[in-house]
Amino acid sequence: MVTSPSRSGPATPAASRTRAAAPRLTGLALALLPASALLAAPSGPLVLYTSQPNADAQATVDAFEALHPEVEVEWFRDGTTKVMAKLRAEIVAGDPRPDVLLIADSVTMESLERDGHLQAHPDADTDVYDPALMDEEHHWFSTKLITTGIVYNTAAPMVPESWTDLLKPEASGQIAMPSPLTSGAATIHMATLTGSEALGWGYYEGLAEQRALAQGGNGGTYKAVAGGEKLYGFVVDFLPIRSMADGAPVAFVFPTEGVSAVTEPVAILSTAGNPEAARAFVDFLISADGQQLAADMGYLPAHPDIAPPPGFPARDEITLMPFDPARALEQERDDKERFIELFGG
Amino acid sequence: MRGGYRAIERGTLATLLVLICLLCGWPLIALLRLGALPDVEAVSPLQAILDTLSGRSVQRALWHSLHSASLAALIATLLGSVLALTMTLARVRARAVLVFLLLLPMMIPPHVTAIAWTQALGPSSSLLGWLGLAPPPGSPNPVQTPAGLVALLALQHLPVALLLVQTTLRGLPADLIDAARMAGAGQALLLRRILLPLLLPALIAATTLSFIAALGNFGINALIGIPARYTTLPVLIWQRLSSFGPGVLGEIATLAAILALLALVMVLLSWWLLARARRSVPASGGTLGDRVRSEGGASTAAERVLWSFVLATLGFPLLSLLAGSLVPTYGVALDASTVTLRHYVEVFGQSVTLRAFGNSAFAAGLAAALIALVSIPLAHYINSGDARVRRLASFAAVQADLAYAVPGLVMSVAFILVFLEPLPLVQVSLYGTLTLIILAYLAVFLAVGLKPVASAAGQLDTTLDEAARLNGAGFLRRMARVHAPLLLPAALSGAVLVFLTAYNEITVSALLWSSGNETIGSVIFNYEDGGYTTLAAAMAVLTVLASVALMLALSRFARRLPAGVVPWS
Repeated sequence: MVTSPSRSGPATPAASRTRAAAPRLTGLALALLPASALLAAPSGPLVLYTSQPNADAQATVDAFEALHPEVEVEWFRDGTTKVMAKLRAEIVAGDPRPDVLLIADSVTMESLERDGHLQAHPDADTDVYDPALMDEEHHWFSTKLITTGIVYNTAAPMVPESWTDLLKPEASGQIAMPSPLTSGAATIHMATLTGSEALGWGYYEGLAEQRALAQGGNGGTYKAVAGGEKLYGFVVDFLPIRSMADGAPVAFVFPTEGVSAVTEPVAILSTAGNPEAARAFVDFLISADGQQLAADMGYLPAHPDIAPPPGFPARDEITLMPFDPARALEQERDDKERFIELFGG
Repeated sequence: MRGGYRAIERGTLATLLVLICLLCGWPLIALLRLGALPDVEAVSPLQAILDTLSGRSVQRALWHSLHSASLAALIATLLGSVLALTMTLARVRARAVLVFLLLLPMMIPPHVTAIAWTQALGPSSSLLGWLGLAPPPGSPNPVQTPAGLVALLALQHLPVALLLVQTTLRGLPADLIDAARMAGAGQALLLRRILLPLLLPALIAATTLSFIAALGNFGINALIGIPARYTTLPVLIWQRLSSFGPGVLGEIATLAAILALLALVMVLLSWWLLARARRSVPASGGTLGDRVRSEGGASTAAERVLWSFVLATLGFPLLSLLAGSLVPTYGVALDASTVTLRHYVEVFGQSVTLRAFGNSAFAAGLAAALIALVSIPLAHYINSGDARVRRLASFAAVQADLAYAVPGLVMSVAFILVFLEPLPLVQVSLYGTLTLIILAYLAVFLAVGLKPVASAAGQLDTTLDEAARLNGAGFLRRMARVHAPLLLPAALSGAVLVFLTAYNEITVSALLWSSGNETIGSVIFNYEDGGYTTLAAAMAVLTVLASVALMLALSRFARRLPAGVVPWS
C-alpha cells in the first residue's frame, strides 16, 4: 500500500482565512468583557473531538463536568484518522466545530500547530512533567503514555532485554510488528527507533534481514505472539499487560534502551468558541486528578507522581526514548517509503 | 371508478420503480461514472482506470483478487459437484440433515469463518492440542497464507456451487441413468458421457457465481489476507478509505468501479449460462430428484465421506471457535481449570455490543419487513398480463439483482458517494447514520427477498386477480385481500432470508458503520482486528446459534413454499 501523508497537506485558502480572523475576534471579545468575567468559572458549551474509546471518553467528560458544572460538554468520538478527516473537512469549509481536540499522537498535533490551527495555553501548569511530553510553546499537552515495547511468547527460548536482542539468531523468522501504514503508534515507534543514534535505520534493516512480518495493527501482532505463531513482537503495552493477568502465555518487556510512546495529547483549536472552558478542560486533564483518572482507566499516566495501574512498573523505571514530533512530521513520508522498501507494502 | 383504481395501480408501480432506481441503480451508475471520470480534467473514461491500474499496489491487489477468486471458484465447483453427485446418486441416510449441514456455511458470515479457522489450526489450537497435533510454538498458522485464503474462500462459497449442481442434477430424468446402466455403462462412463455434458452449463454457472462471491468477499480477504501479506482489492479499498476518510473518494471510486465491472461481466455471463442450463431435458418418467426422495437404505462408503467432510469443514472450525470463546484469554489452552463464560457475560455487559445487537436487529429487521412489503406488489407486476407493466417491473428487478450481485463493499462505496453530500431540501447528510445502513440493506438484499415472492406469484392462478377485479375490487383491496394472503408464506420466508443475510453481514457495513451505529458484523470484526479475539469468538458463537435457530425455523415452514425457496430443505 502506498500512502500519502494526508495529515500534512498544505493549508487551504479557506483555512488560512479562518486563522487570520480568529485572533482578531478573540481580542475583540476579550476587550468587551469586564475584567471580573475573566476570573469567573468557565461556563457554556464545550465541543470535544476525541479518539478515546467510548467508555473512556464518557468517563473523562463526566469527571470534567462534575468539576465544572456550568460547562456542558458535547463530544464526538472516532478513530484519530476519521476525527482528523472530519476536522480537516470542517476547516476547509471554514467552520471547525470543536474547541478542544484529544487525539492519539503528537505528530498530528504538530501538523495542526504548523498550519496555525492551535492556540497556546501559556498558563498551563506543566512543571512536574518531563519537558519532552509537552509542546515548548504550550500548544499541546500529553495526557498519558501508551508505550511500545517487546512482547514475547513464554515458550520462546530467549528472553529479550533490549531491542538489539531481536537481531539474535533465536529470533530469526519469529518477529511480528504492526505496520506504520496501519498503526499510528507503529509510525511513532519507527520514527523513535530510527531517529535514535544507537539503533537508527540499521536496526530496521536488521529486522528485515530477520524476516520480521510487518502487517496490520497492534491487535494482529499481539494475536500472532499470544497464539504462538510468532515468538516476539513490538506491541503497545496494555494489550499484553492486561492479558497477562488472565494467564496469557506472553510477557512484556520495557527494553533497556527505553520505549517509544504515543501520548494522547490535548490541544485547543485557534478557532475555539469557548477558549475559557477549553483551557479548564486542558488544566483538568494534566492535573493530578485528571491523571489519576487515566490510571484508573488502565493507562500509564504521564504525571510522574501518579501510581501506574496494576501490571505496569513504576513510572521512574520506564525510560522514554527521545522523540521529536516536528522531525517525525517532516520525515514521515520518507520514513514510510523506506519502510515499504524494507518490509513490503 | 375503474380509472381511479388504475391510477393507483400505475402510481404504485411508478413509485416502486423510482425508489428502486434511486436505491439500486443510481448509486451504481454514479459510482461507475465517478470511478471512470473522477474530475472534469479527465481525458477519457479509460484514462482514470488506466492511471489507477498503473499503481503497483493496485496491480498487485488486482492480481491477488483474480488469482484467489478463480482458484477458489474452481475448487468450490469441483468439491461442490462431487458432493452433489454423491448426495444424489448414492444412497444416503439422514439426507435432509446432511443437506442442512452442507449448506450451513452459506449462512455463516465469512469473518466468522476466518476467525474459526485461525483458531482451529494455529499453535494455540485447543482441539489440536487435545489430539497432540498442535504445531510447536513459533510455527506459522497454515490458514494465514495465500493457500489458506484460497481454501477458506472455496469452503465459504462451496454451498452455492453445491446447490446449483444439485438442483440441475435433481431435474434430470431418472430414465437416463437407468438406460445407461442397462447398456453396461460404468460409473466413470456414465459421469463422463452423460452427466457431465448435461451439467456443463450448471458447472460453468457455479464457477462464475462462486468467483463473484470470492471476489467481493471481505471478511476472509481482510482477516486472512492481511496477516498473509496478500492484499486483495476489497481490502485495498477498505484500507484506503479508513486511513484517509472520504476525502479520497475519487480514487476509491475508481478501485470500486474496477471491482464492479469485473463482477458485472461475470454476472451477465452467469445469467446467460443459467438461462441455458434451465433448458432442461424433459423427464416424463420422473426425475432423479423424485427418486432421491423415495428411496431408503444406505451406502456406508458415501455416508462416511459426506460425514467426514462435514466434520472436518464445519464441526472442527466451529468447535474451535467455541473453545476459543471459553478460554480466559487468547493463547490459553482450554481445559477444566481454564474454562470460563466471562466473555459471554462481557458481551451482554458492554454498551457497544448491546448497541450492535440492537442496531443490527433493527436495521436487518426493518429492511426485511420493508422488502417483504414491496415484494408483494412488485411480484404482481412482474407476472402482470400487461407486457409494458411486466417490462417496467423487470427493469426494477434486474437493478435489484445487480445491486445484490456486485460486491457489498462496492455498493457501500456507491452509497457513500451518493449520500455523503447533504440531502437536498432537508440539508442533512446520511453519511455515518444507521439510516444509510438500512437503505443500503434495502438496495443490496431486495433481490434476496423478492425472489421467493416472484416465484410464488408466478404460480398463482391469474383468474383470481381477474375475478376480484371484475367484482369491482380496487388495486389496494386486491393486494390486501387476494395477493397478500396467498403470497404471505413466500414473503415471510423472503424476509427471514433477508434478515439471516443482513443481521450479521460485514461487507456492507465495513465502510458504513460509525461509532454509535455499529453492527454485529463490524463489532466482531473490530474486536478480532484489535486483538480481542476471545470477545469476537463469543459474539460469533452467539450469531451462529441464532442463524441455525432461524434456519431451522424456516425449514419447518418450507412445505408451504414453492420448491427451492428454502435451499436447505
